[in-house]
Amino acid sequence: MLPILSLVLVTLLVGTVATFLAGARARWVALGVSAVFLAEVGTLFAQYPGWPGYVNGVPGFADGQSVPWIHLGWLQVNYTVGVDGISLIFILLTAILQVATVVYSWGEERRPAAYFGLVLLTCLGCFGVFVALDILLFFLFWEAVLVPMFFLIGYWGGPRRRYAALKFFVYTHVASIVMLVGLLALAFYSGAASFDFSAVYAAAPTLSPVVQAFLFLSLFFGFGVKFPIVPFHTWLPDAHVEAPTGGSVLLAGLLLKLGGYGLIRWAVEVLPEGLAHVRPILFFVAFLSIGWGSVVSLAQRDLKRMVAFSSINHMGIVLLAIALGSSLGLLAAVLLMFAHGIVSGLLFMTAGSVHHTFGSRDIPAIGGITPTTPALSTMIMVGSLASLGLPALIGFPAEFTALLATWNGLGYWVMIPLGILVVTASFYLWMMQRMLFGPARGVPAEAHDVPWYEGAGMGLLVALTVLFGVLPGLLVNVIVSSPIKGFPGT
Amino acid sequence: MGALNGLFGYAFLVPLLMVASFAIVGLAGGRLKRLEWGGWVAVAFSGAAMVVGVLISVGEMLSPSSYTNVQYTWLHLPPAPGTFPNGFELVVGTLVDPISALLLLVVTVVGFLVMLYSIGYMHHDRGLPRYYAELSLFLAAMTGLVLANNLLEFFVFWELVGVCSYFLIGFYYEKPSAASAAKEAFLVTRVGDVMFLLGIFLYFSTYAQAGPAGGWAANGFVFVHGAQPFVPVGTGNGTTLTIAGILILGGAAGKSAQFPLHVWLPDAMEGPTTVSALIHAATMVAAGVYLLAVTSLFLGFTATDSLVIVAIGGFTAFFAATMAVVHPDIKRVIAYSTISQLGYMVLAIGAGFAMVGLYHLFTHAFFKALLFLAAGSVIHAVGTQNLFQMGGLKKRMRLTAAAFAIGGLALAGIPPFAGFWSKDDILAAVFSQLGSHPAYWPFFLLAFAGVFLTAYYIFRAWFLAFSGPTTRDPTLPEAHEGPWVMQVPLVVLSGFAVVAGLFVFLPGFPGLLLNGAGVAGIPPHYGTTELLLSGASVGLAAAGIGLAWFLWGNGRVFVLPESSPAQPVCRLLLARYHFKEAYDWVGLRAVYTVARAADFVDQYVIDGTVHGFERAFAAISDRLRRIQSGIVSDYAAYVVAGLLLVFVLLLLVAPWIVARLGGS
Repeated sequence: MLPILSLVLVTLLVGTVATFLAGARARWVALGVSAVFLAEVGTLFAQYPGWPGYVNGVPGFADGQSVPWIHLGWLQVNYTVGVDGISLIFILLTAILQVATVVYSWGEERRPAAYFGLVLLTCLGCFGVFVALDILLFFLFWEAVLVPMFFLIGYWGGPRRRYAALKFFVYTHVASIVMLVGLLALAFYSGAASFDFSAVYAAAPTLSPVVQAFLFLSLFFGFGVKFPIVPFHTWLPDAHVEAPTGGSVLLAGLLLKLGGYGLIRWAVEVLPEGLAHVRPILFFVAFLSIGWGSVVSLAQRDLKRMVAFSSINHMGIVLLAIALGSSLGLLAAVLLMFAHGIVSGLLFMTAGSVHHTFGSRDIPAIGGITPTTPALSTMIMVGSLASLGLPALIGFPAEFTALLATWNGLGYWVMIPLGILVVTASFYLWMMQRMLFGPARGVPAEAHDVPWYEGAGMGLLVALTVLFGVLPGLLVNVIVSSPIKGFPGT
Repeated sequence: MGALNGLFGYAFLVPLLMVASFAIVGLAGGRLKRLEWGGWVAVAFSGAAMVVGVLISVGEMLSPSSYTNVQYTWLHLPPAPGTFPNGFELVVGTLVDPISALLLLVVTVVGFLVMLYSIGYMHHDRGLPRYYAELSLFLAAMTGLVLANNLLEFFVFWELVGVCSYFLIGFYYEKPSAASAAKEAFLVTRVGDVMFLLGIFLYFSTYAQAGPAGGWAANGFVFVHGAQPFVPVGTGNGTTLTIAGILILGGAAGKSAQFPLHVWLPDAMEGPTTVSALIHAATMVAAGVYLLAVTSLFLGFTATDSLVIVAIGGFTAFFAATMAVVHPDIKRVIAYSTISQLGYMVLAIGAGFAMVGLYHLFTHAFFKALLFLAAGSVIHAVGTQNLFQMGGLKKRMRLTAAAFAIGGLALAGIPPFAGFWSKDDILAAVFSQLGSHPAYWPFFLLAFAGVFLTAYYIFRAWFLAFSGPTTRDPTLPEAHEGPWVMQVPLVVLSGFAVVAGLFVFLPGFPGLLLNGAGVAGIPPHYGTTELLLSGASVGLAAAGIGLAWFLWGNGRVFVLPESSPAQPVCRLLLARYHFKEAYDWVGLRAVYTVARAADFVDQYVIDGTVHGFERAFAAISDRLRRIQSGIVSDYAAYVVAGLLLVFVLLLLVAPWIVARLGGS
């Protein structure tokens, strides 16, 4: 049987190098690589009905592959990869966003080879994080993501790009160090036979509850900054505002998900007892992020900054769902992250298109753009409505599941995220009222609707927003019926 | 038995037809040579939907039954400890039962007539494909809501009709007032929706384990049919159920514009009049009432819930009517009237008579759509909505004047017009429950007084618009009737406004209202008291019409003297009791101020701390740089100090920590 995960890694690696070297044809190479990537992910899904049959090499994971890498006495590092239902969803998200970003950025004129190469490299890193089942391998990919994103922001970004890129890098890097220390301590203290996930998973229950709690907290901080959690979130708006559109899409769509995925895989699943001890802290942080992200969004003038703060709100709900520690909550968290990846990607694309078309993203300065750019306006509406949780769009099944899980786990505390839903609706609707409707304002005479490639990139995401909104079972069945470690009772 | 019952399995065709219409008009409508053709496509599809809808409801009349179909697992959720130990599946499907057939009849018939009317009414407008696509989508969502077989599916379509309403209120989006009204409608109903969703959770977790025959445990939110609700109305107990009932009421109040969430509906008149007729009079706003009816039939309200529902309904019925008394805008008068009439329906359901509430929903849909379409005809002709500019229109618009009068008589409750039968039943129903709780009395009296106001305000509007020698504003264009596509719906709806109330005397029709249960309850038992009550309410209505004629008839215009003690009241009514200002203050000032403050804290306190660290590190590294003096003896001292520190850490601190933590 083909080691398909390694194949994808090789594809992306070779593709990235090829793209860097391709010069003016880089966009075609990048598109080709993305198509192959998508096809490979499709193959993974095609195997899905025979799920348990494909568990080989790595217990509990499909398409597992484990090769010794660094073996020095007690230091047992392996190249171990594998997927379960959770990582499969994130891999799908990576493939979708890579294609959408490449298509959307088709018109990039400034050093396209480097640009598309960095986009592919970012996706390579994210894919690696989602499949790595060894601490060192995981950390390698985790850090590998930072570098291309640093350059994407620092070279192709807005006026304050240097500041934003540095802030992004230092801030998340500090968190990564804390996370690495936590992971290493976890492996050493538990006396795990190797750095493999399954070894750590097996050994972790021997740790005393207090140690588990401290380890969990250090991991939580490390992953949490990527979420980002309030009050460690201020790198996010700056990075988003300055990043080029493609960078923003990957940042919101994939990089934030690394935090959520990491927390589920390496903290919640491995240290459930640790979670149980510090759960109130997580709930507090989650409620704070939910409220803060939404309320601060209301005050934003910059469309991109507004979407960035709404990400903090949505990722707060993800954290809440994870902290519940129920399988329903985990399902909700994964669904929410997928939904947010698609929808925030779409919204950041629209923000980029608004900027290209009208030369500004200042919400009060632009108005009544619908007659000029009906397609862009429609995309903004779909993205906003999906983000505020309208049924039949992808956000609703995810949010509904999360709220139901919260009700189940926390009772009337669910009124906090429920009440915040009204605020979330209000900042999107107010933005739409000011920017899309009313008499035309700040619309240049030569403004015209988005170019085909931007429309195609956004259109793909719109189509998926509707598809998975109407048929969420396509995703849920994959998650629910796979052998997921964290799901009690499965 | 029931040759038409075979159709019940195909009920999903109704929403599907309208989705097809949405897709065709929405995608291809802009490319047609003439934009009205898109409208005719929508008319054709809604006509086909109407045929299916009417056949299904006739089938239900002939042999009442409940039929569930098209089960599809929408979400398969894993177990969660506590409430849902086995996990559950959320299934979607269609449920055809007598009350959904009743609503299907209303929605498809009024929907078709409004589509037809739109061909004439909207032909001046740009953006026609958008209009017909959105209206088709609305009908798809509304029929989906009616056919939903579980609360979650109900909620999904509930939100979808809401967003269609949002887009249609904002149809003239270049107008700032329309864009603002659309947002307001969405947000105010959103407050109700949030409560509704929590109510669903409460009901679900209550019944997930305790439901009959495992229906709930296995299927989640499915409406399980039985002769009795789990908690018969007014008899249940339990705090959770009471809270759940109030939350459902909150959702219904948002959608049906009940106090205190009523503010959005008058502003929703910014949309085209056809939209007001279909969405904001006949169908969507009635969805809240339908929700209450469904909840009371399938889930049940506790005694406390019933009291709260009666209070909200009875108060709204009167409260909204007072605002309609003074308003100069013809559409807003009818909008306040809609709020008031929905209040009557809510009142009836709270009193435990869901069937009477649904009966009024049925008759109201026709005569209120008629009033709106007649008003639309006037607006189409004279280009203003201000009653004080109109006048004398009956000479040039005989059909419209007659239609508006019939609608007005039906609304006022004059026999034998439709509204008489249903409104009278509501009053009789509430009257019959007065003994159960003394707190019902004031709300009964408010509703009773509302009868007078209703008759007054609607005939004030009629006299202002149609009576008198000529228009008060001479600059208005010469009025004329609309084309046949506008006249036909007026005629058909006038017919319904006359006879719809008599439908209860058809065999089979009461079964629709009672959801098939063969209870003799409609009309409620009539004794001498009820007949006296009926006579009194008709007398009140006649008095209201008389007062309207006295003050406004024959082109008279009644002006309240400046010195009148009623002036402050009048101003308060015109200001709509300042509710909108209060909500704007909360929404725009208070929340936005908090948001601005939070943004400030975010930028200068939280991020400021980050910058503080940045500067501190820069300063520290600057100091540390000076340690590198290049003198070997300095470095030797650092090495020794470092070694000492390491020893202390390893030998003393580390064992202590390990001992404290109890780790290995």
